[in-house]
Amino acid sequence: MNKKIFILGGGQSALYAAREIRKNNRDAEITILGEEKFIPYERPPLSKDFLLNKRIDEDLYFCSKETLEEEKINYLNTIIIKVDFENNILVSEDNKQYTYDTLLISTGSKNRKLNINSEVDDEIFYLRNLEEANNIKEKALGKKNILIIGGGFIGLEIASSFSQLNKNISLVEVGNQLMGRIIPNQIADLVKQFHENEGNKIILNKTISEITKINEKYKILLNDNTEIISDLIVAGIGSIPNVGLFENTKLKLDNGIVTNEFCETNIKNVYASGDVSNFYHPLYAKYMRLESYQHAQNHGLCAGKNISGIKTEYSSIPWMWSDQFNLNLQLTGICDDYDEIVERGKRIDDGIIYFFLKNKKIKGACGLGIAGKVGRDIRITSKLTEKNTIVDSSLLSDQSQKLNKLIQK
Amino acid sequence: MADENWIEVGSTDSIEEEDLIRFDHQDKTFCVYRLTDGFYATDGICTHEAVHLEDGLVMDDEIECPMHQGIFNIKSGEALSPPACDDLKTYPVKVDNDKIFIKIN
Ligand SMILES: Cc1cc2nc3c(=O)[nH]c(=O)nc-3n(C[C@H](O)[C@H](O)[C@H](O)COP(=O)(O)OP(=O)(O)OC[C@H]3O[C@@H](n4cnc5c(N)ncnc54)[C@H](O)[C@@H]3O)c2cc1C
Ligand code: FES
Repeated sequence: MNKKIFILGGGQSALYAAREIRKNNRDAEITILGEEKFIPYERPPLSKDFLLNKRIDEDLYFCSKETLEEEKINYLNTIIIKVDFENNILVSEDNKQYTYDTLLISTGSKNRKLNINSEVDDEIFYLRNLEEANNIKEKALGKKNILIIGGGFIGLEIASSFSQLNKNISLVEVGNQLMGRIIPNQIADLVKQFHENEGNKIILNKTISEITKINEKYKILLNDNTEIISDLIVAGIGSIPNVGLFENTKLKLDNGIVTNEFCETNIKNVYASGDVSNFYHPLYAKYMRLESYQHAQNHGLCAGKNISGIKTEYSSIPWMWSDQFNLNLQLTGICDDYDEIVERGKRIDDGIIYFFLKNKKIKGACGLGIAGKVGRDIRITSKLTEKNTIVDSSLLSDQSQKLNKLIQK
Repeated sequence: MADENWIEVGSTDSIEEEDLIRFDHQDKTFCVYRLTDGFYATDGICTHEAVHLEDGLVMDDEIECPMHQGIFNIKSGEALSPPACDDLKTYPVKVDNDKIFIKIN
């Protein structure tokens, strides 16, 4: 009998895993169980080109329904409410049962929600999926003043998109810098200046004390008693791994599903990939959970290989981007473990990169530039980090020198 | 007989090996590459979003977009890695007396 492989969660990581399994195994039954009514699609444009009406739903799918059919990958639109790891059974909301031989969990992450007051909490918008993006777009029509709560990537990208649609933006962030959790303050300050030059009001170090609804508008009171009047409120205050289903099961959880470098969980034949997984990274010798496009793809591919019996270690150097206005921000590696910082470039037009080194080896780098100005150097940096290369910091800081000289073949 | 579709790009030593230059002609942008086995040319703008590939990284036969790491095969133009999914147009290249020419039409 053909092996039954189920993938729980219908996002990017699920799809890449499914296609990789099919590449290696012609006969397995492969089924993706996803609660969204859409086949897997790209999320990055939701806060950018989709809000700007430069791309529509159809442009976002990773592949067509026909491709899924050709590759015999089933996509079932259903919500799974229970997993019985003892008997290998998944139970759906409509009470159907699915028995698996192998299970991959790629349930992604979900938005953290605000708890301000019950009268307005349900009227605050969040952005994670296509349905929410459509709602926000529709709701913003004809509205002028928009409050964004949270200065992370998604909040800033929404601020950038709405600003380009000529709306007045106020963005409130509790921390003392934007994108505080992972972006170095040097780059965060440049992003803040850029938003302010475009007319966005960025308010740091403040929390929301109260929101009241007056007619169709919201009156927002900050903790320093500043008042903001807004027509629409969107929050982006971080996300948490989608693991509610697995609480009180034997699946090991700790900031997501704990997996080793082969995408394996503590339960035999159960794997996890993408945003939901807290995986062991052999090069950094620690566990990490990443929320990025490249990771969702590569981790899915790696899970697909391991499920197909091709033992593959996951050691990709983390990489992500954010696009705001015509700026492109890129981050590679990790920037919080260093003994030296090197700056390359002085102008956003040519790209500015900060490298974070430890013992003369690059641990991470973060760059900001117009369009693709930092991409090549950031990519080379990922390779140098991967190879643990000792680098000459005078070369890193000299923008007239090409960094590919540093790559040893 | 001179073929008017061949446009001169520059001299062969203007491109280092495993590298590229941007070449603008009329209102279009191209990238001309020097790989280990010769010269190649493609459209100069990524098919994903309108970003110049001149800032991208050439690795073996591939060009990687500097914006979101979409990858294309330089020789065939094939889109190899998302978010790039539409192929890149390629153009014939010839070298004559140490000068590079590309055929645009
Ligand atoms: C608005 C937005 C913009 C982004 N922009 C960028 C960017 O610019 N650059 C970048 O690198 N990354 C970006 N990201 C992050 C990137 O898109 C994610 O990291 C990636 O989508 C994660 O993929 P995944 O497959 O792990 O999870 P997801 O894509 O979240 O997919 C998980 C799926 O599982 C489904 N699911 C969950 N539980 C169940 C259940 N019980 N039953 C059935 N289905 C279930 C969910 O509904 C969802 O469809 C962005 C994300 C968002 C939301
Ligand atoms: S613009 Fe080239 S991959 Fe996105």
